[in-house]
Parts: sequence; structure tokens; C-alpha cells
Amino acid sequence: MCEADDAKGGGGAHDDSGVGAMFSALLEDSAEDLYENAPCGYLSTLMDGTIAKINGTLLAWLGSRRDELVGRRRFSDLLTVGGRMYYETHIAPTLAMHGEAGGLALDLRAADGTRLPVLVTSTVKKGDDGAAQLIRITLFDARDRRAYERELLRAREQADVERDRARQLASTLQKTLLPPALMTVPGMEVAAYYHPASADEVGGDFYDLFPLTGDSWGFFLGDVSGKGAEAAVVTSLARYTLRSAAVYNPEPVKVLDNLNTVLHQQYRGGDTRFCTVIYGSLVPDDAGCAITLVSGGHPSAIIVRADGVAEFLHTPGGMLVGAIPGAKFAEVTAHLAAGDTLLLYSDGLTEARPVGASRERYSEEDLLDFLAASAASTAPDVISALTALLKGFGNGVEDDTALLALSIPLAEIGDA
Amino acid sequence: MSTKFSTTTRTTPTGPVLVFAGELDSSTAPAARDAIQGLSLHAGDQLIIDLAGLRFCDSSGIAALIAARNLAGAAGAAIALVALSPHLSKVLRLLGLAEIFATHPTADQAREAWAERRAER
Repeated sequence: MCEADDAKGGGGAHDDSGVGAMFSALLEDSAEDLYENAPCGYLSTLMDGTIAKINGTLLAWLGSRRDELVGRRRFSDLLTVGGRMYYETHIAPTLAMHGEAGGLALDLRAADGTRLPVLVTSTVKKGDDGAAQLIRITLFDARDRRAYERELLRAREQADVERDRARQLASTLQKTLLPPALMTVPGMEVAAYYHPASADEVGGDFYDLFPLTGDSWGFFLGDVSGKGAEAAVVTSLARYTLRSAAVYNPEPVKVLDNLNTVLHQQYRGGDTRFCTVIYGSLVPDDAGCAITLVSGGHPSAIIVRADGVAEFLHTPGGMLVGAIPGAKFAEVTAHLAAGDTLLLYSDGLTEARPVGASRERYSEEDLLDFLAASAASTAPDVISALTALLKGFGNGVEDDTALLALSIPLAEIGDA
Repeated sequence: MSTKFSTTTRTTPTGPVLVFAGELDSSTAPAARDAIQGLSLHAGDQLIIDLAGLRFCDSSGIAALIAARNLAGAAGAAIALVALSPHLSKVLRLLGLAEIFATHPTADQAREAWAERRAER
């Protein structure tokens, strides 16, 4: 308490010096006491790691006596086997090269075999001549921190489980919005593909192919605005409305009129929900099949002819479905002959931004050129060529993509 | 968010001018809808939506434009879109909406066209 004596001799007010003495006593003014009983472990080693000095706090943590360690053990002997290897291969070289190493998470092995997680910082003490003399090591008790990290890990694992569950749900819901397998139309080949842009959310694209009365068939492919559960409700409503409307009145324009009325009434109050869709009917004949398409604001269907020529089936003026009462829809007719393929697609494909190059969006025209250049001449070939194309776009496909293709095989017609 | 999309409303003798700028998608469409709901429209007005600063517009943006059209229609007002990007023009054409929205290169031209149409009556 020499400082207290100094304060008294300093001539200050007696009350003040008394308080000063009390503070000095309370503050750990003794460097030796601070070293011994600091709330962290202190350790000094020779350059080869041999323990030269160790404080009381660290001895208490280890449950060892000073004479068991000083001059007899190396720092790495205090570590677990894994920690020892890490010390020798990483920490010792870092210390030799940089003179310090910090933020190291290691486990001490106490005398009774228990492990104590610690955070370790070390610096090399150099003499006046610049030569390394000692390694000074400070160790902090990291039990709380490890517990916190375990808690973080547990929360993360929990979040992973939740995400997997959400993905599972999205995937299951998606499957209910698409036919499990396309029906087989006699004398035709059909193929479809669905590319979800996100594993976490249900997409808004849909398609189907189903028998109508007599020999005729109905089919459609559409895209609901938005994503997620709300869009899925509209997708489901659109799909079932289209199917039931087609049974009620199979005339394609009437089918979309019906869907427009249903969607508009359902959503006229608040959030506008709409979809774009192509609805078609097909009637097989001796030379292939006759097709009638009606578009509600959807990208034009494409026919790839047997000779490789690709053409749009434009339906100008067809309005998107569900947004405007009394929306107008445009109809177009075509005939598919042997070797011809009809393709319906959603704009996830034509709005994709192919990786690399200019990041320009793909377009309907690009798609037409691609199909004309490809040798694909049947529905399954066209779908697999486009599936490969989409795969090549990678992350450039930002929206869900649905594809539906119908073709007349060459051989079948030869028999007819 | 604030830099991604912004909306301002101006009142003119022929009706409000709503300016959309930035990216109009599902995250910013609510702000666009709020601006539309906040408009005071009177019969005979022309609502002008200026899209010169709109860099991106997805289906939720289209939905907001349709909501504006429906609101204008309910108030007996007309609607005009001005300064559409070529991409947005193409999208509107594809969606069959080109004929339900009057479109003009500038707000002044929209006002002139509106004045002419009113004079004809």
C-alpha cells in the first residue's frame, strides 16, 4: 500500500487521501496480484513451448500444481489431441512468422480429464536485440461462448428443418396443380415439362390435357400472376374452372369467357389476380388433327412443321384473363399433319436471361429460331431439347416455366 | 426500398399525374397501390401515369396499373399511360391491354389528346 502512503504525504485534504487510499486498495493496484488472479489465464513459455510462468487462475482451471507444469510441460501438453495438432501445424508457425496469433478456439484438458473450451491469444516477446525470447499466452474461458454457438447451431438446424418442410409442402402443392401424367391421345405424341424457379415457393404455371365429348380433346397452358400460396389458389381455381367450363361448353372462346368471369368475380374486391392462358381443342382426323386455340394474353403458340419450318400461331388482341370484365379473346385455327409439333410455353422461358454474354432476355423470336434450327421433330424431342436449353440458362431462368407439346408421328399416319 | 421505387403525385387542372420510377415488382407494388388509392379522381378527369423513370415492371406492376384503370373507370375518369419503355409496350400488347390503356409519349401529348377528345363532344 505504498501508494496510499504517498498520497498521505502529498499534502492533499485528508478526506480525499483517505478515499484515494480506499480506491487504491479496491483497485487491483498490485500487478502481481492482477497477474495471479485475473479473470483469465496467463501463461508464458520459452520459444520451444516449455512453460516458464503460469498464473493461479489457469492452474485452478487445470486443477494442476505449479511445480507439475513449470519447466516440465509444454503449452501444447495442456491441449486435447486435436488442439495439440492444430497448435503445432498452424499456431506455432503463425507465431514464428508474424509474432502473434489471436482468436484461436482450443480445448484445454484438465488434470481430471475434463475439457475446458478457451479462446487463446498469443504474442512473442522480443528482447532489445530483436530476438524472440518468450511466448505470452492469454486464455479466456469460452464455455458461455460455446454454449451460445451450440444454441446458434441448434436454431440453424431448426430453421433447416422448417425450410425443408416448406419445400416439401410447396412441392406437394405443385404436384396437385399439374396432371400426374399426361393422358394418351390416340394417334398423337404428347410431352410436358415443368421447371420450378424456386424450391421454396409454389409456382403459378399450369397445364393440362383431357378428353372432351366424342373424339375431341381439350388442353391448356397458363401462367398466374404472382407466386406462392396466393397464386396457387388462383392456379387451382383456373385449372378446375377451365376443365369444368370445357365440359359445359367446349367452344374455346366460351371457355375463356367463363374463366374470365370466375376470376374477375372472385378477385374484384381487393388484390387483382389474373392469368394468361392458351386454351385449345383438338379433333383428330385422317390427316392428323384440327386445332382451335384461344389466347388470353399469352405468348403465341408455335408449330414446328415436319420440314423443320417453325411458325407462330398468333392470336392478336386476346386479353389477359380475370382483370377486366368482358375481356376479348382471339381465336386461331390450324392443322397438324404428320411430323408437325405444336408447342405451348410460358414466359419463364422467353423472359429468361441466359447466363453470360449480354444478359439480354431470351425472346419468342429466339425460341422460334432455336426450334427451327433444332432437329427435334416429335413432342418428346422438342421437350427434351427445350429442357436442355433451360438447363443451359442456369440461374437465368427467373420465373417458373411450363412446356406442353403435341405432335403427330410420321409412322402413325402412314398406317392410316 | 426507398431507392428501388418511388412514386409522386401532382395535381393538374385536367386531373392527377402519378409518376412511377424505379422497379415495380411484388415488393414495391403495395406502394404503387397506396399511391393509386390515395388519388382524388373526379368525373371527367384524366389520370396520367408517367412511367418514364420505370426501369422494371412485372405482373404485380401490371396488376397495379389495372387497379388504377378500374379506379379511374369507377370515378368516371379516363386513364393514360405515358413514356412507356419498348419492353413494357410489348408486354401490354402481348397481354391484350394495349387497347384498354391510352398511351402517349409525353404527359403534354396525353393532355392535348384528352382536350381534343373533350372538344369533340
